[in-house]
Amino acid sequence: MARTEVERPAAGLRRAGPVIAGLRRSIGGATARLFLPALAAVMVGLVLLVAARHGASEAGQQLVNGLQQGAIYALVAVGYTMVYGIIELINFAHGDVFTLGAFYSILISELLGRTVHLDLGSLATSGLAGLVVALAILFPLTMLMSGVTGVVIERVAYRRLRDAPRLAPLITAIGVSFLLEGIMFAGFGSGNVQAGKGGWIHGTAFTIHGVFVGWKELFVIVVAAALMVLLHQFIHHSRLGKAMRATAQDRDAALICGININRTISATFFIGSALAGAGALIYALYYNLLQWNLGFNLGIIAFTAAVLGGIGNIVGAGLGGFLIGLVAVYGADLVGGQWSNSIVFSMLIIVLTFRPTGLLGVQVPDRA
Amino acid sequence: MPDAPPRQPEPAGTAFWLLALGGLLLVVTGWLLPWFVEPTSSGVGFSGQDAAVSFNGPGTLLLDLLGVCMVCLLVGLAADAVRRRRSPQSPLPLTRARGAIALAGAALTLLIWYIVGVQRAEPLFGTISADAIADNAVWMTLTGFLVLAFAYGLRGWVLRHGGVALAIVAVCFGAAFPFIFNASNNGIDIIVWGAQFAGIYTLLALGLNVVVGFAGLLDLGYAAFFAIGAYTTASLASSAHGVHLPFWVLLFAGAAVAGLFGVILGAPTLRLRSDYLAIVTLGFGEIVPDMATNNAFNQTGGPNGLSGVDQPSLFGHNFGLFGINPKPYFYAILVLIVLVILVLRNLERSRLGRAWVALREDEIAAAATGINTVTTKLLAFSIGASVSGFAGAFFGAMLGSVGPENFSFAVSVTAISTVVLGGIGNITGAAVGGLVVSFVIFWVLPHLQGWGTTLGATTGVPTLGTIDYSKYTYIVYGVILIGIMLVRPSGLIPSRARKIELQGTQTESLAATQGRS
Repeated sequence: MARTEVERPAAGLRRAGPVIAGLRRSIGGATARLFLPALAAVMVGLVLLVAARHGASEAGQQLVNGLQQGAIYALVAVGYTMVYGIIELINFAHGDVFTLGAFYSILISELLGRTVHLDLGSLATSGLAGLVVALAILFPLTMLMSGVTGVVIERVAYRRLRDAPRLAPLITAIGVSFLLEGIMFAGFGSGNVQAGKGGWIHGTAFTIHGVFVGWKELFVIVVAAALMVLLHQFIHHSRLGKAMRATAQDRDAALICGININRTISATFFIGSALAGAGALIYALYYNLLQWNLGFNLGIIAFTAAVLGGIGNIVGAGLGGFLIGLVAVYGADLVGGQWSNSIVFSMLIIVLTFRPTGLLGVQVPDRA
Repeated sequence: MPDAPPRQPEPAGTAFWLLALGGLLLVVTGWLLPWFVEPTSSGVGFSGQDAAVSFNGPGTLLLDLLGVCMVCLLVGLAADAVRRRRSPQSPLPLTRARGAIALAGAALTLLIWYIVGVQRAEPLFGTISADAIADNAVWMTLTGFLVLAFAYGLRGWVLRHGGVALAIVAVCFGAAFPFIFNASNNGIDIIVWGAQFAGIYTLLALGLNVVVGFAGLLDLGYAAFFAIGAYTTASLASSAHGVHLPFWVLLFAGAAVAGLFGVILGAPTLRLRSDYLAIVTLGFGEIVPDMATNNAFNQTGGPNGLSGVDQPSLFGHNFGLFGINPKPYFYAILVLIVLVILVLRNLERSRLGRAWVALREDEIAAAATGINTVTTKLLAFSIGASVSGFAGAFFGAMLGSVGPENFSFAVSVTAISTVVLGGIGNITGAAVGGLVVSFVIFWVLPHLQGWGTTLGATTGVPTLGTIDYSKYTYIVYGVILIGIMLVRPSGLIPSRARKIELQGTQTESLAATQGRS
């Protein structure tokens, strides 16, 4: 094909702009293509660095710790991403719904002890069967109560503001967050609260090359992963899940198709909050120590995980949670625990600079 | 310039009558209350009795004059009411003479108050007691007279120049603030409060309003720039690094450094969608205090922060310690707020301000009309950041020490709630929001306990006093935030321009109608 444009020396200057733009585009393309390999390389580099400095067994041990922390982040992040996906609200109260879930589990144990004289603590420590029964009682009840809390919050604080200026529900979300924290503060005090689940799960499951994998860690990771898989199946293969996806895509069109928007949004809040409740129960089983404002920092990090994975994307939220757990643990091992928040957020800023939609997010136009 | 509308006497509506009634009520209550509630033995307060006792001769004369003013006003108001009854259509003769009488009444109240030298025992909004009520009577009378003056003589002018009137009232009130709430040893904390929290949060709200309100970029890490400004002052005007630059230079240095950081953070991230931007700013807002706590580069003093910051001085007069002598700081911050408001108001109406609005409403359309979206966003971001740095620089010098705990995420959250609560995209709204929120957080919540105790003692329900209110502050604050937003979703003072823009373009979404049902 013949070139129609005649080269002229003066055109060199004029063409500098497009050349720079082209250069930027090709650099941008390169970073987009190289991004995931680069991220993987950084992660591997982190692991190797820890291994080189503290030995391979510590690196392996931290892998277990990171996955365990990440599992909890992931469960909370899913709630953020679901709510954001469907009503474009950063649900600041979600972290506190999480904490409330942990306190619910304490209340449930106490209530069962008082009313039907069922001591969950001694049942759970009596043996494997007892533990399974105790968890089978505790998990559904905690998740149900957390879920209902989420639905009530949406009904009271968000639904009326659905068509208000975009930041109005954000402020009510902050208000709900304060309210929930205030309730926990008034009810349980400012100090550490024992969750009463200390010895429920204990012991080492197996050891590989000096890396201890406890039943506790295994439990956290497996339960979180199972819940996420379950959620993914639900979203993609159930009628309600389909309605949720439709509502997230276009609320008006979904309404025209006969989807009950209010019920779908309520269901989203229920599921998100129930997962936060499950995460809280897992947290209580693992750490056994709670504070009234625990959900604040955890919520911020979980939201970061949701954004990192690409907000609105459930698989992304899970991935982001695990990734952040790993980065926080390895980074803290390298430069000190007091920097772990800085590490997480620096990583977020860098990732978003190179990949503005997060790891698995797709480019969505801003709604005007 | 469009022609000014022809001047017409304003017909008196319900608002007028309510205003007149309110003013009258204030005058009469303020005048009569001290006679009944003030304990006669406890010193001199403001009441006719006290004035006559402490200042014989001229004092009684002044009181008589005041009485004449009141009678004139009463008679005038009654005459208006009668005339209104006879011919309901006729506009009221809102004579300047009556306005002048009312103003004279206010001036007389001030004069008597000054002569008597009221010993105020309690600040307004403090613990409720008979003394406090008696002392606050001065302000009730004064306010009543001013309201009546407005209702009578100045109403037409105020209606035509609402903004100017508001500005005058706000500045006068601000200037009089330390005198109104001054006097006793307890009274000093309201000025400290005013300078430290209300002033600083108003500045923050004004700056954040540029980012969130004008340009529509959600910034959840605004405290970071505040911290940067404060740490700039603290490192360049203290013994920490042996540098002692003058305070007034540092104010602008703090603003410049914070603005620079705004550009550094904004340049790579402003192409993100707004919510991603929000989380990036949130992250930045966490990193900055983290660096301060962990003593990054050995410059920040770690968790203890930097202390011994030089006290600012003006024309050789040292401001002194903030805790002991807050007045200069209070006036300085008042001047700074006025300055920032003037600058932002002009910016809002400039080419850049219009570009921000265009960008906020529709980025693609704005780009199509030739607005450079990146520069415009970046400017909004860095101007907002520099106002925050400005406030931070002042904050550092005011407190004399800077620590990381002053710049937590809670500060960013409070700043954003001030802006949204006041009314997004509206300078007046932002200022009002800043005042209201800081009033609630830093005055109402800490005083709940005292009020509860007093209330319990006076009403004879002692349980009211034994409740530990400090446990419920979070709940109260949360409920207030939720309540205000549910009742007024577009803020306390919604932006008029913004409302018009939205009404023209947005059709109500179908799903929204279902949400409301």
